[in-house]
Amino acid sequence: MAGENQTSEPVKITIILPTNAYFLSGIRDFTLSLTKNMTGFSDQWAYRFQTVVDELCNNAIEHGSAKGKDVVITFISDPKKSIEIVVEDTGTGPNKYNAQQMTNLLKERIAMMHSQYLGLRGRGLPKIVAEWTDELIFEDKPDGGLRVKAKKYLREKEDQVLLEAQNKATHLQLV
Amino acid sequence: MAQATITFEDVQTNGGKKVKLIKIAGQLDESNVDEEAKKIYAVIEQGGAGLNLIFEFSGLEYMNSKSIGYLTDWYSKISAGGGKVVIAQAKSNIVDILQVVGLTQLITTYPTVEEAKLAVV
Repeated sequence: MAGENQTSEPVKITIILPTNAYFLSGIRDFTLSLTKNMTGFSDQWAYRFQTVVDELCNNAIEHGSAKGKDVVITFISDPKKSIEIVVEDTGTGPNKYNAQQMTNLLKERIAMMHSQYLGLRGRGLPKIVAEWTDELIFEDKPDGGLRVKAKKYLREKEDQVLLEAQNKATHLQLV
Repeated sequence: MAQATITFEDVQTNGGKKVKLIKIAGQLDESNVDEEAKKIYAVIEQGGAGLNLIFEFSGLEYMNSKSIGYLTDWYSKISAGGGKVVIAQAKSNIVDILQVVGLTQLITTYPTVEEAKLAVV
């Protein structure tokens, strides 16, 4: 995948991943390449979105889908406007959460991170996914499982956005 | 599966301080970080009180939130023993993620290994 996408139409790509962290490096490579070449985002945001995708996929593998099941990852790129990742698990995992539980967990962890946090786990959702996305939505799937949507909008003056991000909390839309 | 290599070197100091240079290259993610972390815990345990760590990240391409959790834990253990932990030569995407989780408030990053050595010796 070299150069800019030739179309300005939204592009939707879905990948079905076995419930195994072995495949995460490939997903990261794909995310980085897609974001760098087809969205208009800077390299810095490409690396950031790569991390967001990795954290969400890892949560689905660790908690949402059992071994032998799948995780469904959908990328929606609206060139020069936004990029969105949708991660769906099957709700068969050992420590599955529903949408309300995830919303509560996120709020708890954001509060936990206000003080100097030295724990081993718990940074991915509040400090990476929430900080580096504009919309973060948790939904219960009708057939069981969790759907997480994370969307980042492209601004014209990205440097200005970066400066603002350092000075105020990231907007979150929690449903 | 992500690949990572970790190498260890003793840093010679005039003051007799215990300083270990730990070079991590490749990618640390859910598929390998638990196994790789054991190597560093072993070095910290062997080093005992007063050990200082310099992490050289010039070859580190990716680290996930769990690997940052381990880094925080190593910082806590070394600090409890009276030592320091610093980072040298990290790529911009690595510094970016360390900043967003707040770890750069605890662990200083330096552009060169020499500057990192000066900070701990």
